[in-house]
Amino acid sequence: MHNAGHLIWIILVVSVAFGGICRIFRSPRKILSFMCAGVLVVTVPVLTLVVYTFYYGAVSSAGQWFYIDSLSAFHLVVMMLVFCMSTFYGYHYFDEKIDEGIFTTRLARRYGSLWFASLTAMTLVLVSNNLGIMWVGMETTTLVTAFLINLYSNKTAVEAMWKYLIICSVGIAFAFMGTLLVAASAYTLETHVADVLLWTKLVKVGEVLNPALLKTGFVFILVGYGTKAGLAPMHTWLPDAHSQAPAPVSAIFSGFMLNAALYCIMRYISLVDLVSETFSQELLVLFGIGTIIISAAFILSQHDLKRLLAYHSVEHLGIITLGLGLGPAGIFAALFHTLNHSVCKSLGFFCAGRLGQIYGTYDMRQISGSMHLSFLWGGGLMGSLLALIGLAPFALFMSELLIVKAALETDTIWAMVLFLAGSSIVFVGALKHIIPIAWGKPSTDHVCLKSMLTDKVLVLGALALLLMLGLWMPDVLHEILYRAAYIVGGHHN
Amino acid sequence: MNNWIDLLIILLILSNFVMLGSSRLAVCIRTLAIQGILLGILPLMIDRQDLVLHTTLVSIGALIIKGIVFPWLLFKVLRRIGIRREIEPFVGYVPSLFIGLAGLIVSLYIGSKLDFPAPESVADVIPLSLFSILAGLFLLTTRKKALSMVMGYLVLENGIYAFGSVVLNKVPVIVELGVLLDALVAVFIMGIATYHINREFDHIDVNRLDNLKG
Repeated sequence: MHNAGHLIWIILVVSVAFGGICRIFRSPRKILSFMCAGVLVVTVPVLTLVVYTFYYGAVSSAGQWFYIDSLSAFHLVVMMLVFCMSTFYGYHYFDEKIDEGIFTTRLARRYGSLWFASLTAMTLVLVSNNLGIMWVGMETTTLVTAFLINLYSNKTAVEAMWKYLIICSVGIAFAFMGTLLVAASAYTLETHVADVLLWTKLVKVGEVLNPALLKTGFVFILVGYGTKAGLAPMHTWLPDAHSQAPAPVSAIFSGFMLNAALYCIMRYISLVDLVSETFSQELLVLFGIGTIIISAAFILSQHDLKRLLAYHSVEHLGIITLGLGLGPAGIFAALFHTLNHSVCKSLGFFCAGRLGQIYGTYDMRQISGSMHLSFLWGGGLMGSLLALIGLAPFALFMSELLIVKAALETDTIWAMVLFLAGSSIVFVGALKHIIPIAWGKPSTDHVCLKSMLTDKVLVLGALALLLMLGLWMPDVLHEILYRAAYIVGGHHN
Repeated sequence: MNNWIDLLIILLILSNFVMLGSSRLAVCIRTLAIQGILLGILPLMIDRQDLVLHTTLVSIGALIIKGIVFPWLLFKVLRRIGIRREIEPFVGYVPSLFIGLAGLIVSLYIGSKLDFPAPESVADVIPLSLFSILAGLFLLTTRKKALSMVMGYLVLENGIYAFGSVVLNKVPVIVELGVLLDALVAVFIMGIATYHINREFDHIDVNRLDNLKG
C-alpha cells in the first residue's frame, strides 16, 4: 500500500524530468523519438498503479494528498491512451515541417517540454486528493498548453491563444471561488489544516457540510471547470484553440484536457450529492442539453474541418455531462462515452491534420475525394466522423444508447427528446460534410504523403477499438466503469 | 484593530473605482500595485493566534507577487509596446464609474444576505471581494487593450483572494502558494501573449482580433 503510493511521485517527477531532457537534444527528429520513448516509460508506472488499484483498492500517498481510486484510475488510462496515440502520431506529423525547416530544434524543444509539462499537469489533476492542488493542476494545464496552440506563432494562432488564455483563466478563477466556497461549507469540521480540502475527508462528513455554501460552490465549480471542459455557453474559446493548434495538440485537448476538467466536476458531484440528490442532476442535465443543442446549431454551418471536429467535442462533452446528470446508469454510460469519445476524437484530429497537409487547407469545400487520395487518412476520417455522429455499431452509439436508456429510466423524457433531436441534427449536418469529403471528385491540387507503419497501426487500431467496444465490452472494463460510476454517484448508487 | 480593517476596505474599494475610471494604463498599474500591497496586509489584520506563521508566509507571498512582481511585469510590457492609454473602451469612463457604483450596492446587498462563516470583525471584506470580482469582470468585458484585460483579470483574482482570506480560516500554505504561483505564471504568459499580439498585428486591440469566427 505504502510503496504503491511512491509510484505517484515517480510518475510526476519522471514526466517533469522528461520535459527537461527534451531541451538537451540537438535535432527535432531526436526530440520526437525521445518523446515516444518517454511517454511509453511513463505509461509503465501509470498502468502498474491502475492495475494495483483495480486489485487492491485505492492508493494514497503524501499524507493523503495524493489519492487514486477507480475514478482517477479510469481517467489515467484514458489519458495515457490519448497521450501515447498523439505522441506516436506526432512522430510523423512534423515530417514536412522539419524538411521545410519550419519545425526547428528550438520549436521541437519547446514542443517536447510543454508536452511533458501538460502530461504532468493533467496527471496532477487526476492524482490530487486535495481539491486546492487539483485546481492548481487544472490552471497549470491552461498555462502550459497555451504555447502549444501558438507553436508557429502566426496571426490566427495568436488570436486563438489569447482567447483561450483569457477565457479559461477567468473560468478557472471561478472554479477557485467554487473551491473556496466548498471548503468554507466544511467550517464546522474540526480537522488539521492540512486535511481541510481533502476530498476523501469531505466525502465522509456529508452531514456537517453547509448545504447553501456547498450548492453555491458547486454552481461556481460547474461554470468554472465547465469553461475548461467546453460546456456551452462558455465554449467559445474551444473551436478557435482546437482549429489553430497542431493536430497532435488538438488531439490531447479534445481527447483528454476537456475530460480532465469534467473529472474535476465529477469529484464535486459526489460531494454535493451528499446534501441534495437532485440539485447537481438538474444542473448537469440543463448544461448538457444546452451544450448539445448549441453545438448542433454550429455544426450545421461549419466549413473548416478542424472546427467541425471541435464543435463535435463540445457536443460530446455535453452528452457526457447529460449522462452524469441521469443517475447511476447515466454516469456509467457517461464514463463509457468518455473513453469512446477520447479515442474517436483523437483519431479524427489525426486524420484531419494529415488531410490538411495533403490538401493544404482545412476548408471542407476543397477537401473532396479524400478516400481516393489517401485511403488511410480519408477512410480514417470518415470512420471517425461516422462514429462521432453515433452510427451503429461503433462504441459511441452504444454509450449514447445507454444514456438514452438512463434518461428513460429516470423519467427525464424531455431531456431525451432534446438529446435525440440534437443528435439527429448533428447526424444530418455532419453527413452532408462527410460524403463529399470521402467520395467527392478528388481535387488536383494536393501533395502526396507516404503513410508510415505507425500511422496505419494508429488508425486501424483506433477504429478496431471503437468497433470492438461497440460490440463487446470486456468484463474488466465493465467492472472499472461500474466502480468509477459508483464513486461519482456516491451513496445513492 | 477594527478601524484599520475598515480603512483597508475603503482604500481597496476606492482603488477599484480608480481602475474603472482611469484611461492611463500606468495609473492603473500603480493602482494595482497598491491594491496588491493592501491585500498582502489584509490577512495580517485578521486575528488568528494559532496560525501566525502560516498567515505571515501567505501575506509575504501575496505582497511580493501582487504588490511588486505583477506591476513590474506589466510596466515591462507597457514599455515594450509603447502605448499609454486605453482609448475608447466599449463603455465610457463616467458610465463605468456609475456601473461600478451600482455593482458596489449589489455587492453590499448580497454580502448582507449571505451567511458566511467569517469572523465578525472582517465580515465587511465579503462585499468588497464581490465588488472586486464584478469590477474585474466588467473591465474584462469592456476594455479593448490586451493589457487592460490582464489588469481586469488581476482585479478579479484579487477579489477572490480577498474572499479566500476571510472565508477560509484554514487552507494549507502549499495550496495558497500554489495558487499565487499559478497567478504569477498566468500574468507572465499573458504578458508574453500581449507581445505576440503586438508583433503580429501591430496593435493590442483585442476587439480587432476577429479572424476566427463561427
